[in-house]
Amino acid sequence: MNDFVFYTVVTLIKLVAFVSVIFLSVAYLVYFERKIAAWAQNRVGPNRVGPLGLLQPFADVLKLTLKEDIVPDAANKTMHTLAPMISIFVAFSTYAVIPVGPDITVFGRTISLSLAPGINIGVLYVLALTSIGVYAITFAGWSSGSKYSLLGGIRSSAQMISYEISMGFSIAGVIMLASSLQMDEIVKSQHGWMWNAIVQPIGFITFVVSSFAETNRLPFDLPEAEPELVGGYHTEYSSMKFAAFFLAEYANMLIASAMIVTLYLGGWQFPYAETFNISPMLLVGLQIGAFVLKMVAVLFFFIWVRWSLPRFRYDQLMDIGWKVMFPLSLINLLWVAIVTMFMK
Amino acid sequence: MPKITIDNKEIDFTQGQTIIQAAEAASIDIPHFCWHSALSVSGNCRVCLVEVEKMPKLVIACSTLATDGMVVSSQSEKTLSARSAVMEFILINHPLDCPICDEAGDCKLQNYTYKHSNGESRFIESKNSKDKRVALGPNVMFDGERCISCSRCIRFCDEIVGEKQLTFVKRGDRVTISTFPGKELDNDYSMNVIDICPVGALTSRDFRFTSRVWEMSSTKSICSGCSKGCNIDVWVRNNQILRLTPRQNDAVNNFWMCDEGRLNTFKHINADTRINGPQVRRDGALSKVTWDEAFSAAASELKAFSKDEIGFVGSPQATNEDNFLFSKFVKSNFGIKNLTFFKHIIPGTADSLLQKEDKSPNSFGAELAGIKPSKDGYDFASLLSAINSHKIKALYILEDSNILEIPEIESYLSKLDLLIVHSVNSSVLTQRANIVFPAASYAEKNGTWINCDGIIQRIRPAVTTQEIDRSLDGFSMSRLDKFGTEYDRWNQTAKVDARPSWKILCGLMTVFGQKQKFSIVEEVFSEMSNTIPSLNGIDYSSIGDLGIKVSLKSPIPATIEGKH
Amino acid sequence: MNTNYANKNRLKDLTFWQKIYVPEIIKGLSVTMKNMFKPNFTLQYPEEKFIQPDSYRGRPVLVQEENNIERCVACGLCARVCPALAIEVQANETESEKERYPEKFEINMLRCIFCGFCEEVCPEEAIIMSKDYELVFRVREDAIYSKDKLLVPVKDLQDRINYLREFKG
Repeated sequence: MNDFVFYTVVTLIKLVAFVSVIFLSVAYLVYFERKIAAWAQNRVGPNRVGPLGLLQPFADVLKLTLKEDIVPDAANKTMHTLAPMISIFVAFSTYAVIPVGPDITVFGRTISLSLAPGINIGVLYVLALTSIGVYAITFAGWSSGSKYSLLGGIRSSAQMISYEISMGFSIAGVIMLASSLQMDEIVKSQHGWMWNAIVQPIGFITFVVSSFAETNRLPFDLPEAEPELVGGYHTEYSSMKFAAFFLAEYANMLIASAMIVTLYLGGWQFPYAETFNISPMLLVGLQIGAFVLKMVAVLFFFIWVRWSLPRFRYDQLMDIGWKVMFPLSLINLLWVAIVTMFMK
Repeated sequence: MPKITIDNKEIDFTQGQTIIQAAEAASIDIPHFCWHSALSVSGNCRVCLVEVEKMPKLVIACSTLATDGMVVSSQSEKTLSARSAVMEFILINHPLDCPICDEAGDCKLQNYTYKHSNGESRFIESKNSKDKRVALGPNVMFDGERCISCSRCIRFCDEIVGEKQLTFVKRGDRVTISTFPGKELDNDYSMNVIDICPVGALTSRDFRFTSRVWEMSSTKSICSGCSKGCNIDVWVRNNQILRLTPRQNDAVNNFWMCDEGRLNTFKHINADTRINGPQVRRDGALSKVTWDEAFSAAASELKAFSKDEIGFVGSPQATNEDNFLFSKFVKSNFGIKNLTFFKHIIPGTADSLLQKEDKSPNSFGAELAGIKPSKDGYDFASLLSAINSHKIKALYILEDSNILEIPEIESYLSKLDLLIVHSVNSSVLTQRANIVFPAASYAEKNGTWINCDGIIQRIRPAVTTQEIDRSLDGFSMSRLDKFGTEYDRWNQTAKVDARPSWKILCGLMTVFGQKQKFSIVEEVFSEMSNTIPSLNGIDYSSIGDLGIKVSLKSPIPATIEGKH
Repeated sequence: MNTNYANKNRLKDLTFWQKIYVPEIIKGLSVTMKNMFKPNFTLQYPEEKFIQPDSYRGRPVLVQEENNIERCVACGLCARVCPALAIEVQANETESEKERYPEKFEINMLRCIFCGFCEEVCPEEAIIMSKDYELVFRVREDAIYSKDKLLVPVKDLQDRINYLREFKG
C-alpha cells in the first residue's frame, strides 16, 4: 500500500468521523443548551422524547425537515438559498485544522489527529474562514427583503468586523509565543502548565469575549435580538434552511471552544502526562480525553453565560469592541513581547 | 319680568310658574318623581324639597309658585339631607330586585338613589308584600311592590287620555294601584304609562324581559303608523328591532304615542316575509335574480307597452326622496298622465290626541314630491276602473302595502299584463307581480317624511341591510356593535338584500340611459329642495332631530282618495 | 415590606469594579450556578396536577341550586361588565317566583379572559369562577359553552362561595 492510498483512506475515515461527531455534538449541544437553561431556571427541560429526553434533538430535526420551505416574494431567490449553504460550509471546513490529539503511529505510519495536518497557516485559515462566515449572515439579511433581516445582517457584519480585530491581535500574542501559525506547534508550545491562558490572561479574556461576539452568542447576539428584530437575519428562513443556520451557529460554537482550548488551554495536552510513564496508546487516549473535557468545559461556559447575562445595547457593543477590547489586545501584545524577550 | 334666584342664579320667569318649572326653563335639575311637565301637580313624592329663604320649612318645588325676589337653594345642606331622607323613605318598601326589573338602567329611582341617597337604610323590618305580575290591560303589566305611588299613570289616564281607568286603592303603606272594577287599562295610549312610570312598576307585556336597555342602540326616527308622524326612538339589538318608544317633540306628539303605532309598525321588518333580493317571474314562478338582471328585465318589459297603458303608483309610505325620483323617472320616460298614489284613509279612526284618519306617514310629502296626475290623467279611483276596462295594462307600484286594504284588489291585479312592485314584505301584491324589487324599510334608510301638519321630519337607519354597514354609515351603535367583530355571533344575523327605492330607481334610470349622479340620499334631497319651492333652503341639518315646518307656497289641493 | 420603590435612586456612577464588568459577570454567573443545584418547581403536568387555592379563577360556571334550577336571573350585568364580550344572555319569563331566567346563557371560552369580573358583579352569586382550567376544543363551535356545560351543582362550588363571602363580601 503506498502512502497516497493510505492517507486518502485515513483522511476519508477521519472526515466521516469528524462530520458525524460534529453533527452529533451539535445535536446534543442544543439538547444541553435547553437542559442547562432549565437547570439554571429551576426547571426540568426536555424529558418527554426518549429516556431523559435524549431523542429530543432528533425530534427537532424531524420537525424542521417536515416544515414548509418558505421563500418570501421580495427575496432574492439565489442569494436566499446560497446564504445558509455558505454558513454551513464555513462552519464545517474550519474543523480541518483543529488537532484533537497528538500524532499517533499506526502500521508504521504517523497519523495526525486533525483533518488537514501540518498546514503551516492553520490559525490564518481559521480566521479567513470565519471572515467568510460574515458573508453568509449579510447575504441572508440582505436577500430576505425584510427590514428585520437586513438590520440583523448589517449589525452582524459590523459586529464581526469589529471583534475580528481584537481577536486577531489576541491571536498574535499566541503566535508570538509559539513562533508558528501551525496549530500543532501552538499546542506543543503550551506544555505543562504553560497554558497561554495563564501566561497571557488579558489576551485570553479578549479572545474569549471576541469569540462570543464572533459566534453571535449572548451577550452579543444582536444580529438576532428577538425583542427588536424578530429573528434577525434568519427571520425569513424556515425548514432546513433555517436548520442550516441553526446548525452553523452551534458548529461555530464548537469551533470557538476548540480554538479557545487549542490556543489558550493547552489543546490536547494533559499537563505532565508524558511523565506518567504509561503506555503510548493510553497516553493518546488520555490526551484526546483531555481535549474533549476542556471543550466540554468551555462549551458549558458558553451556555452558562447565555443564561446568565443580558444582551448589550448596540452602542455598548461597539464601545466595548473598539474602546476596550482593541486597546486591551494591544496591551496584551506588549506584555507578550516583554515576556518573550525575557524568556529567550 | 319677575326674577327668582335658584342656586345663586338669577332667572326670569313668568307669573304662575312653579319653582320647578322656572328651574327647568333655566336647565337647573331639581329631582322629581311625581311631577311631570305634561301632567297636573300632585306633590306626593316629596323628593323635590328645596330650601327657600324666609320660609320656615322646606317646600316642594313642584307646587310652590315662584314669586319675585324668591331665593331658592336646591343644593343647601338642609335640602340635601332632606332629599336623602326622602329617598330612604321611598326605598323602605321598594324591593331590591333591579337584576330582574326591566326598568334597570333606565330607572329614575335607580339613578336618584346613586345621585341623591347616602345608600344606607335603617329599616330592618321586613318589606311589604303586594301583588306582583298583575295584568292591568292587554299591554301593561303591574308590579305592586315596585310602585312608589307617584300617581303619574293615574293622572295620565285622567288628564291626557280622558279615560278614568286607574286609581289608588287601600291606604298607608298598603296603597296600590288598580283599575276600576270591571275596567281594564285598555285605552289607545295605555303604554305611555310605562314610559312615565319612574320605576319598573309598569312594564310592557310585549317587551318584557326581551333585552336590557344598555344592550340596545337607539335611533331617532318617526312612527310610520299614521300621518301624525310621532317622533320615536327605535331600539335595536343584534340587528333586530325590539321596541319603539316615543321621543319628546312638543310640536308633534309631546311625550306620547299610541299603542297601535308602538306595537304594530316594526314587527314586519324582522319578519320572515321580508323579500330578500330582486325577483323576476320566469315560467310562471318568481325566481331570484341579480339586481342588474332585474333592472334590464323591468326596462324591457316596460318598453313593451305604450305610455298610456302603464299606470304609476307612488307611495305615501315611501320617503319624499323616493317619490321625487319616482316622479322624475316617470316624467322623463312616460309622462305624468297616469302618475298617482293611494291615500289610505280610514274614517272614524281619528281622535283629538294623536291618531289620524290617514294611515300613511307621508301623503303630504308624496304629493309635494310630484306624485299627481296631469289634468287629463287618472286619479287613483279612475286608475282602478281603467284597469278593469283594460285601458291600463301595466302597473308600477312603489312600496305601498296599504293598497292591499282595497277590497277585491286581487281582481284588479289579475287583469294586469305586467306588475312591477317595490316591496318590503311579500304579500298578495308581490305574489301577483312580474318583477319584485326588495325595498328597504323605513328603519333601514335615511329620508324625510312630511306629516299631516306640514312638518318635515327625518327617518334614520337603525337596521342594516346587505348594502349598508352599521359603523361606516354612521348608525347609532350599542356596545356590542362598537366592540364586536364581524365574526361575532351577534353580527351573524342574516341581513336582507334590499335597497331604498331611490337607489333602485337610480339603477333603473341607468338602464333607461339616464344615469343619475346621486350616491347618497342627501343629494337627492338637495336636488328636490332646489326644484320644489316649498322646500327651498331646507337641508338635513336644518331639519335636525325635531323637524321643521314646510312653508307652503301653494296650498295642497284636495286629496285623491281611494274608494275605501 | 418596603414597597416604596420610587425613592430608590438608581446608581448612576458605577464604581471601578463595576465598570470593568468582570466581577459583576462572575456574580451573575454564580447566581445561575447556584440555581442549577436548587430543586425544581416543575410539575409533570398530565401526571401531576396542582391543587388550586380557593382564590384560583378557572372557567366561569353557573350555580345550579338543589332543585336543579339555575340561580341566575339573567340580569345581564355579567355580559355588560365582561371586557372581552364573551357572555351572551337572553332572558325570558318563568312561572317560578324569581320571574326571570336565562333562556340562553352562553360563554365563548375563546373570548373569556378569566378576569372574574362577572363573578364580582353578579348580584345573585350565580356565576362563579370554578377551578376547572382544562379547556380543549377542536372546533370553534365547541368553545361556546351553553347552559348544559355551564351549570354546576352548588355543592361543588361551596369552597369558592365561602371564599368569596369571606374576602369579597
